[in-house]
Amino acid sequence: MKQISQVIIIFSLSVLLYGQAAAQHSGPYAGAFIGGNALLNAKGADSVGNFGLSFDKALTGSAVLGWDFEPGNPAGEGRIELEYSRRSNPLNRARFAEGSFKAGGSVTADSLLVNFFGVHHDGSRFAPYIGAGVGVGRIESASLTVTGAPLANDSAVVLACQLGAGIDYALTDYLNVDLGYRFFSSSKPTFTEVNGHTFAMNYVNHTAVIGLRVGF
Amino acid sequence: MIKLLWSGLVILQLLAGCGFDGTATRKNDFTPLTSIEIVAVSSTIAAGTSTKLTVKGNYSGLFTNDVTDQVVWSSATPGVTFTTTTNNNRVTGTNTGTVILTATVGTLTVNYTLTVSSATVSSMTITPAASTTAKGLTRQFTANGTFSDLTTQDLTFDAVWDSSDKTVATIDDPANKGLAHAVAIGTSTVSATFGSVSGITAMDVTKAALLSIAVTPNPATILTISTTKFKATGSYTDGTTPDITSLVTWSSSTPACATIIPADGLITALTQGTTTISASLETFSGTSALKVTGGNLTSITLSPSTPTLVKDTLVRVIATGTFSNSTTRDISGAVEWSLADPSKATVSKSGGNLALLSATAVTSTPTAISAKSGTVTSSTTNLTVTAPTLQALTISPVKLDLTAGTSGRFTVMANYSNGSSQEVTFSSVWASSDAAKSVVGNSGINKGRVTGIAATIVPATITASYGGKDIAAVATVAARTLNTLTISAPSASVASGNQFKYSATATYLDGAVKDVTEETVWSIDKPNVAIIADSTNQPGQVFAVDSGVATLTATFGDKSQTVTITVP
Repeated sequence: MKQISQVIIIFSLSVLLYGQAAAQHSGPYAGAFIGGNALLNAKGADSVGNFGLSFDKALTGSAVLGWDFEPGNPAGEGRIELEYSRRSNPLNRARFAEGSFKAGGSVTADSLLVNFFGVHHDGSRFAPYIGAGVGVGRIESASLTVTGAPLANDSAVVLACQLGAGIDYALTDYLNVDLGYRFFSSSKPTFTEVNGHTFAMNYVNHTAVIGLRVGF
Repeated sequence: MIKLLWSGLVILQLLAGCGFDGTATRKNDFTPLTSIEIVAVSSTIAAGTSTKLTVKGNYSGLFTNDVTDQVVWSSATPGVTFTTTTNNNRVTGTNTGTVILTATVGTLTVNYTLTVSSATVSSMTITPAASTTAKGLTRQFTANGTFSDLTTQDLTFDAVWDSSDKTVATIDDPANKGLAHAVAIGTSTVSATFGSVSGITAMDVTKAALLSIAVTPNPATILTISTTKFKATGSYTDGTTPDITSLVTWSSSTPACATIIPADGLITALTQGTTTISASLETFSGTSALKVTGGNLTSITLSPSTPTLVKDTLVRVIATGTFSNSTTRDISGAVEWSLADPSKATVSKSGGNLALLSATAVTSTPTAISAKSGTVTSSTTNLTVTAPTLQALTISPVKLDLTAGTSGRFTVMANYSNGSSQEVTFSSVWASSDAAKSVVGNSGINKGRVTGIAATIVPATITASYGGKDIAAVATVAARTLNTLTISAPSASVASGNQFKYSATATYLDGAVKDVTEETVWSIDKPNVAIIADSTNQPGQVFAVDSGVATLTATFGDKSQTVTITVP
């Protein structure tokens, strides 16, 4: 832990002392991100009523392949990328008419999105960005249980989208640190319950990520 | 780095509190049902009586639910019968002794020991005693039996219920045990019989009771210096909804905006604003939200100015109001007319916006006429009444060519000895030589108006008599087939409070074109947006009331046309 703190301090000081402009990268890049995500309390709805599902927060990971537009590109300054991400959240509680009950299992979303981010370059190493992405996702309700009794074990393919914002820091002309936020949502996945009913649930997720992007 | 990540997670922790927070309606049928329990109202019942059974399910010790509707009942011991249709989940003891009842839900079973005693009923009481029920309502009675072993038991479901006068009260036995319906005013004896024992009680049915009051129109929008009448409709326990306008007490929450006559719901709008109109009766009240638009009255202008009339003639007088929103409209019917010398002339109002000034005596000096509404009074105009000698009458036009179903007007002018002349159309007596073909109006502003009834071969002679002289003209009526009806658009602004005029034109198959504005029936679908100004005296004229879109419909013969009125 002490070594990690030292790394952060050294990194921060180098950012402050070495905050001069870096050349703006254009061309292909690849990146990897890690972070934390919170899946919002979900409403499950089936033919016999509504119930609530609440989840634990969890880590998330993603990888991107993209293209930095060259400076002065008529389409605007920014980048386009293909992103794969995975968010898996343990089910914590299930709320029914009788009350809230301990629940188990997890809901995992694997998504493949095409993102476009507009980036504001002002000549410094910091470059804020904002953007959006659309694509598809596969959401799996893995071994969901209520008080130990099975609820559902199913998966569904859904449409997915996200809004994103953050800030890039150019370590070198080809290496960026990216600190970002993603609002991820999907169309409602429908899962089959063990008793034969099917329920549709909301999927809305907040994610904070940090990652490195390497340009080529 | 890890700290950085977890600081982000702190933010996510806050966000995670969002999401679905509504009421869960689905029951938890995932958690296994692990045990059930039978609950009976009475563990001991007399033979021939019943008790209600309930089964409570325990789900893994986490929660309980009533699972009675999932139960299959049985008993290995003869001596009871179960009822699961009417009076759900009751068990009746048929033989004395101890009976084991068994409830089964899925794979779970539970037993209950019920004792059926040999006690016999000795008396029965019905509650409530001597009840009073408004017509249309129901009353649930309960029968309690006292038995030979001094125990008591609810016999509501085991007794046979009856009403002595079914025109007053009925009991739907056995479907709804003890439930009486009050159907007419009067008194009936309600009885419950179990075995050879009966209990009785009187049920008085009184007149239907008021449940609520509805005030219409609601919401309502009217113009300042106008009146409208609200209606109150009562909803009663017997399902009737009579008009109770004259029974309620009316009030306005803001009398400065609109006043209302407490006895009959007639409201007069005074100033722009909003008020709540209430109708109260007994402990109930109904309300309507009233909006008053059209600007506040700032001045009144009279016309004609400085009129001179010959004694015993009359003329239409008009009071035009100017309002704070720069609109003007005819308020002749809404103002209070006054004359400085009422012995010389009178102003009569006969509904709508019609006001007629009648000269009754010669004035030595001009007499002042004014009109007032609230605190606003017009400037005076001076009336002079003379009495010259009538010399001659002239009528115009000399011939009216009418189409059956339409009308036209004659005008009569009188020439006097002093060289003056005056229109005396409203002061003349009119007659038609052939009233079956063309009829001439002889009252109010319809004087001189000839309506074609049927085609004429010989033109009808229309005669106007005034001051001992007669003047005649002719009217012909042709039968034509209506082809199209068109409505003109007004040129005036349709701002709230303004008065504007539409006209209707009929085109016939033979190419004839006639103005049929006066014969057309005009209507507007949304009185909160625009209203017909005065269907009798100002046909085709409309008041803009409040912002919105309304449809004006004109109907003449078998043709109808609509036009959209948009009030900004």
